[in-house]
Amino acid sequence: MTDSALATNPAPVAAAAAVAPKLTVRDVHFYYNGFHALKGINMDIPEKKVTSIIGPSGCGKSTLLRIFNRIYAIYPKLEAKGEITLDGENILDPGYSMNRLRGKVGMVFQKPVPFPMTIFENVAYGIRHHEKLSKADMTIRVEQALRSAALWDEVKDKLKQNALGLSGGQQQRLCIARAIALKPEVLLLDEPTSALDPIATSRIEQLVEELKSQFTIVIVTHNMQQAARVSDLTAFMYMGELIEFDGTEKIFTKPGKKQTEDYITGRFG
Amino acid sequence: MSAIYLRRRVTNWVAMGLSMLATLIGLAFLAWILWETLRQGIGALNLKLFTKITANGADGGLANAMVGSLIINFIGIAIATPIGVLAGTWLAEYADRTKLGESIRFLNDILLSAPSIVMGLFVYTIIVLPTTALTHGSTTFSGFAGGVALALIALPVIVRTTDEMLRLVPSTLREAALSLGVPQWKLTLQILIRAARSGIITGVLLALARISGETAPLLFTAFGNNYMAVNPIDKMSSLPQIIYQYANDPGDDMHALAWAGAFVVTMFVLLLSLASRMVLSRTKVSHD
Amino acid sequence: MPATDTVASSIDLLERRSRRDARDERLFRWLLKGCALLVLAALLGAAGATLWGGRSAFSTFGWHFLVSTAWDPGNDVYGALVPVYGTIATSLIALLIAVPVSFGIALYLSEVAPAWLRTPVASAIELLAGIPSIIYGMWGLFIFAPFFANHIKPWLTSNLGNQPDDGKLSWVAQHVPFVGKLFGSSYPFGASILVAGIVLAIMIIPFISSVMREVFQTVPTRLKESAYALGSSTWEVSWDIVLPYTRSAVIGGIFLGLGRALGETMAVTFVLGNAMTLSASLLDPGTSIASTIANQFSEASGLQKSSLMALAFLLFVVTFFVLLIARLMLRQLAKKEGS
Repeated sequence: MTDSALATNPAPVAAAAAVAPKLTVRDVHFYYNGFHALKGINMDIPEKKVTSIIGPSGCGKSTLLRIFNRIYAIYPKLEAKGEITLDGENILDPGYSMNRLRGKVGMVFQKPVPFPMTIFENVAYGIRHHEKLSKADMTIRVEQALRSAALWDEVKDKLKQNALGLSGGQQQRLCIARAIALKPEVLLLDEPTSALDPIATSRIEQLVEELKSQFTIVIVTHNMQQAARVSDLTAFMYMGELIEFDGTEKIFTKPGKKQTEDYITGRFG
Repeated sequence: MSAIYLRRRVTNWVAMGLSMLATLIGLAFLAWILWETLRQGIGALNLKLFTKITANGADGGLANAMVGSLIINFIGIAIATPIGVLAGTWLAEYADRTKLGESIRFLNDILLSAPSIVMGLFVYTIIVLPTTALTHGSTTFSGFAGGVALALIALPVIVRTTDEMLRLVPSTLREAALSLGVPQWKLTLQILIRAARSGIITGVLLALARISGETAPLLFTAFGNNYMAVNPIDKMSSLPQIIYQYANDPGDDMHALAWAGAFVVTMFVLLLSLASRMVLSRTKVSHD
Repeated sequence: MPATDTVASSIDLLERRSRRDARDERLFRWLLKGCALLVLAALLGAAGATLWGGRSAFSTFGWHFLVSTAWDPGNDVYGALVPVYGTIATSLIALLIAVPVSFGIALYLSEVAPAWLRTPVASAIELLAGIPSIIYGMWGLFIFAPFFANHIKPWLTSNLGNQPDDGKLSWVAQHVPFVGKLFGSSYPFGASILVAGIVLAIMIIPFISSVMREVFQTVPTRLKESAYALGSSTWEVSWDIVLPYTRSAVIGGIFLGLGRALGETMAVTFVLGNAMTLSASLLDPGTSIASTIANQFSEASGLQKSSLMALAFLLFVVTFFVLLIARLMLRQLAKKEGS
């Protein structure tokens, strides 16, 4: 990375961030096995807000999310075209370091996937790959992450136990802790509550609310009420296209497009 | 009309009856073989078996064969496990759906049932002959060569189970680790293999069970030794090889010893397959 | 220290780490691939080593090696026909017995047996597959061969064979061609091609039946249910729906069993009688490729050793192709399932 690249990357200033978007998506297309899954997506995702993406199954909402940290690239025959900039740099550029991207953009998946190790190790594992911390610092860092994920009080006495012993909701919060332990700037949540019961779901939603002061959050959900509850902005996608992207309140009360209205009033999907 | 019905019903009864009979035949032979092994084997069990060596002949025991079997099996598993696990990992994680990967997976399945005696001759050619030539005949057959031959038989079992078990690991686990920026090789070694651990252990136990009873590949590799040998470069005896030798002997005392050996080997193998089942059933519980 | 310097050095660090990761990743891939290629090396090596070992036999005898019945260490003349015949004959007998029995077991376990009985019976049958082959050999030698000689063989020779003890030829021996020869024997012991075939059959039954059972279970329930809804009996569903649907995999399972039978050493060596002569009778002793090698290799040298290697090469090539067919047939069903 050269200094000139850094020059275009101004130090984050709260006021500026409200204006400059954190992630800009420009004309993004996505293909798998020749199938055109995303057709020219353009959107600006603001910093430290919650943006939700909704739409019927197969509309491409998860696909879009999975481009934001290039996780799709682990599978063959998938191809993304266009430009996605994070703080002004194009993350789809092959020269953009994967380590850097994954350190800046964290992700939480549909089903909780704790690693087959202790609760402590689950959180420490990712950090260890990015930073060399002393044992004491690591302990502090893990505790911070678990506190931020509102899990600390439930697990502080059993950090050495296997993470697979936690309940589904706890496992998902552990996955959030694991992701935010790397101190990312963007947090991607891919239907994070679809495998959870209502109580665990509301805890996660509450957590999202708390986390937005620190992270730019993008959440994909098939649950419209959830989008309405947690997000500041909502994008509606249909058949690989972004139909409408606006303030959540506007989308749910005065949608600008007929398709959006049909969807949120339950006429299809 | 009713004639047709009657004929169809009779056909069905006969077929069902025959299928039950077939099952009974299978079970009857299983019972017969196990019963004879138990009866003859337990009858021949005594302390000498474990304390005396085969050099004492009919008055001796099988101590050197048991020690030899343990050493040769250990060598076989010690070679086959790392290679098999890594090869299986390659098939599941790196070469899934590639041409080379598919071909090797396919050939591995063939190796799984390849004649073991040919594997013995292969190892004879690549290890016994060269060591004989290099040492001017002072080292010929060896426990190590036997171990390599058994490793070739254990290898495809371990490759296959590792491959299958890793493919059962949900891809979300891979995505979760990669999204943290963990490189793929670390993910593979530290997370995926750990997640598939009990399945892989099952494969190793199955491979051990498979090679514990193998005789043919040892005849021209470890050869046999009537004295206690613990150095892998020496000729080494093994239980199956002694069973083969003693069963061909005309003496009844020798037959008794062969049955005792057969009993020990069978029990060992059956316990191993039981253990592997238990490990596997525990996995299933923890995955749910 | 100015802030930009810290950022610059941390990015530098990141770069170095990325490079290191990429290098480690490459090394790891090569290590894994190398291990996988060893599987290929084992197969090629086994074929190559036996071909190399058998080169002087092949060059001395040429293709006569394949059709000659000679096996004469005294005159140093060797031919493969006797062991090849024994291998094929024992394996075919094994299939003749094992295929219907395995089909019956698979049918019973997948369609007939009550649910609570299926798992224990299936496990018991699979236990049979776990017993080491040398145990089959011992059981065959000490238990089954004498039993056969005392109880089954006399009946076969007097009712089917052309050399009955009392000298009176049975109707079958007189009127049905070949049968008299197949079952005629004056050899007094049990060890024979037939007994070896039976022992092999018992050995491969669990392999074939478990493949059949597995593939029967892949038949979609709706297919079976629609046949039952038309009033078909269990047998009709099995014969008309299940078997045609799984045909290729069933054949694959049979070939898998055949592959096992061809290459088996220990289960047959004890019960074949080790006679290097060709006899039309299934009740006479014979030999197989694997048992010839097991019996003679340690004491052989020169051309005899090379001939044994050549036999091993033949065995390896034949089993390879049998197993190849087996796997290809089995894969067809896997594909059908996937689509």
